[in-house]
Amino acid sequence: MNGPIRRLAIGLFIGLFVLLGAVTWIQAIAADTYRSDPRNARLAIAQAGKERGVIVAADGTVLAESVPDEDDPRRFNRVYPLGPLFAHTVGYTSSVVGDGGLEAAYVDELRSRRDLTLSDIVAAILGNDLRPRSMRLTLDADLQQAAWDALGDRSGAVVALDPRSGAVLASVSKPSFDPAVLGGSEAAAEWDALLADPANPLLDRATRENFPPGSTFKTVVTAAALEFGVADTETRFDDVREFQLPGSSATVSNFGGGLCGDGSTVTLARAFIRSCNTIFADLAIQVGADDVGEMAEALGFNRELELPWDAARSVFPTDSLLDDPAALGQSGLGQRDVRATPLQMAMVAAAIANGGTVMQPYYVDEMFDAEGNTVDRTDPEELGEAMSATTAETLTQLMERVVTEGTGTAATVPGVRVAGKTGTAQAGGGTSYPWFIAFAPVDDPQIAVAVMFEPLPSSEDSDTGGRVAAPVAGDLIARWLENRS
Amino acid sequence: MTRTAEGVLVAVASGLAAFGVALVDFANGESLGAQVGLTFLVFLIAFGGFHAALRAWAPDATPLLLPPVSLLAAIGFIAVYRLSPYRAGLQRWWLLIAAAVACALLALLSRNGLAILRRYRNLMLLTAVILLLLPNLPSGGPLPIRGLSQNGSRLWVVFHLGFTELHFQPAEIAKILFVSFLAAYLADRQAALTGAHRRLGPIRIPEPRQLVPLLLVWAGSLLILIYQRDLGASLLLFITFAALLYAATGAAGYLFAGGAMAVAGGIAAWSMFDHVQRRVEAWLRPFEDYADTGYQVAQGLFALGTGSLSGSGPGLGRPDLIPNAATDFIFAAVGEELGLAGSVAVLCCFGLFLAAGFGVALRSRDRFRSLLAAGLTFVIGLQTFLIIGGVLRVLPLTGITLPFMSYGGSALIGNFLLLGLLARASHEERS
Repeated sequence: MNGPIRRLAIGLFIGLFVLLGAVTWIQAIAADTYRSDPRNARLAIAQAGKERGVIVAADGTVLAESVPDEDDPRRFNRVYPLGPLFAHTVGYTSSVVGDGGLEAAYVDELRSRRDLTLSDIVAAILGNDLRPRSMRLTLDADLQQAAWDALGDRSGAVVALDPRSGAVLASVSKPSFDPAVLGGSEAAAEWDALLADPANPLLDRATRENFPPGSTFKTVVTAAALEFGVADTETRFDDVREFQLPGSSATVSNFGGGLCGDGSTVTLARAFIRSCNTIFADLAIQVGADDVGEMAEALGFNRELELPWDAARSVFPTDSLLDDPAALGQSGLGQRDVRATPLQMAMVAAAIANGGTVMQPYYVDEMFDAEGNTVDRTDPEELGEAMSATTAETLTQLMERVVTEGTGTAATVPGVRVAGKTGTAQAGGGTSYPWFIAFAPVDDPQIAVAVMFEPLPSSEDSDTGGRVAAPVAGDLIARWLENRS
Repeated sequence: MTRTAEGVLVAVASGLAAFGVALVDFANGESLGAQVGLTFLVFLIAFGGFHAALRAWAPDATPLLLPPVSLLAAIGFIAVYRLSPYRAGLQRWWLLIAAAVACALLALLSRNGLAILRRYRNLMLLTAVILLLLPNLPSGGPLPIRGLSQNGSRLWVVFHLGFTELHFQPAEIAKILFVSFLAAYLADRQAALTGAHRRLGPIRIPEPRQLVPLLLVWAGSLLILIYQRDLGASLLLFITFAALLYAATGAAGYLFAGGAMAVAGGIAAWSMFDHVQRRVEAWLRPFEDYADTGYQVAQGLFALGTGSLSGSGPGLGRPDLIPNAATDFIFAAVGEELGLAGSVAVLCCFGLFLAAGFGVALRSRDRFRSLLAAGLTFVIGLQTFLIIGGVLRVLPLTGITLPFMSYGGSALIGNFLLLGLLARASHEERS
């Protein structure tokens, strides 16, 4: 009888070993799959109430901080004192819809890692600091506010860079939203409402959407023409009312339909300062899609910039323009299939200001541990030489004349040498995207700006880059330089 | 190991229960409270009292049984306390009552020994059948004892005592009576069962006359349990029954026949009851219908996976997200907060208990005691395998409790009685 009982016992022990195997599989080997399953609320719940580090602007203004919950002091609520002003860049944190912006990109650094798990205790014993880290951004709260105010009620974006380092000084996108609502109890409903809003307030127009850059793209065409020796500033072009696009019945005319000069010939310099479309369509075709494309790509087009989030690409479709001079002529005006983010156009202005060197844009200046010691600092990084210093210098002179005597006089700042370029990209129904890119001071560039407005609901003749966007850029430059001095 | 070592280990387990309660309190931001001391005291009285009863009435019993049980009870109690301090308060009372009942059993048996069970085996069977029938009493009406249906299964009895209601799961007691009856019956009939058989070609089949009462028992209890829609207890009783038949006769045919009948019964139940179909669906594809049928199993897996190797720590996980975490899914709750380390510790404790229990069975010279010890140990082992296997998706989920760990008074009393019987069997063997 002992034989059968022994075999029953053995059977049960085999069962126990099966259970040991199963529990080892679930808790050791497949644990991460279960832990990170989106339906597993544990992670989100654990993160929701956890303390995060402070995010401050370059000037020390608090942009995001965790404050203890009134009812449950062990839980923290995330507050954003400036509300929608920094929503797209700083982002949000939500147990319902997840994190966004820098809150998402730096979640591991910002979040407290004190979980009281065994591994944390071991890490703490080994001297690791598990407390949340804080970060200081490159953005300036005052400049950001000025840009926000300058955009007024219109949809649009402003990006300001330090041309020497690539540090982002301001990045505003309108309309915006209050990030605090996504951390509240009504997060799901608020999120749905934001998604349903036709104005699309969640979209960061500064970096995550591209627009036709219009005549601001003439800086890229001119840079290519100068760099590759196709033309210089005194090269003369036929001054015509309508430029016949080769191999096409379509023509290109100047804004307002007039001539660029006296009707004979004009220099490239005058065409740039007056932003003459007839001449730039001609010039783009003379330079060729290859060289315009090469210059555009050196400046950052056709690739995804390395930002803390997924940025939109800026596009110059070189390949499709190689055998299509008519389309190339229109693309030289920043129309057709050319697209650029406001950040990209700010980078173009910054590269010209910086002697042709393109800098990697960055948002986080320094990271601090809980004691306030710097644990990480962003070093400026060069993305490459887009053009020679001579080309940059020549372009700078042209851009300065845009502001002193050309289409961009509204960007004038008393006592400051400003270089800029207007753009008025055509949208449907006669409406337009007014643009302005600029940098200043010319002899010691400290700020590069791109301003972009989305089209008005209906056509308005005065809605041009020179009238609408240039004053905004001028204001921001004046504000920035005033605060620095 | 000596009796003194048993006492020391039981005290250590009591301390662990109190320590766990303190950790849960700390995790909730509370300071050291009365719960800690109360828990230590209750564990010390319950297990210390049982230990003292062993010294008094079963001094030769193996000291290997009580320590793993006390540790399992401690780990289970911490999880119950973490899920509901109120339920933990009740569980403390149940622990005291269960230990008292088990001590009383040891005292009663000290005069006549287990032989008395053998004498009253038919009474035990009758009691078991009545107990199993109790939940089928009408839910309303004038009787002070009423049946209660919960989660689609009818396995509760409610005693209306005027000032309060007492919920009881009679199957937890019935299983012990059933095993005791079987052990007695099989021990008495063993000669007939093994001797009288017919040959059908090379296969020995028992004399049909010998099988009639057994088949009746099987059909009867199975019918009651299917009628009560309690798949877990049904499976438990039937497999234990087949296993004991095998243990008594050594005829593997009983096991194979039992296995075949279990599969056939399972398929029949699956085709007849949609609650069985839902369980099978949740077992095979818990994430397919996550929001409904698969939710509990999926939450159990999330809990275990999140707990990972070292667990969140007592009071720091979210086992409250698992439905029925304190009863059926206590293993997942322990796994989440104590991690793989805790899960393995629990399985090892059950392994130690099984080893000690089967050790008693294998050393017994008396057939009845041997079968009784084997049957009681097997019930605990099988119940553990069924419910943990259900949580770990090795088997379909059967709603039964995890012995010594789950919240619930009936289960605790039943399992403590079982422990008392095992200890007595061990004592009689050595003295």
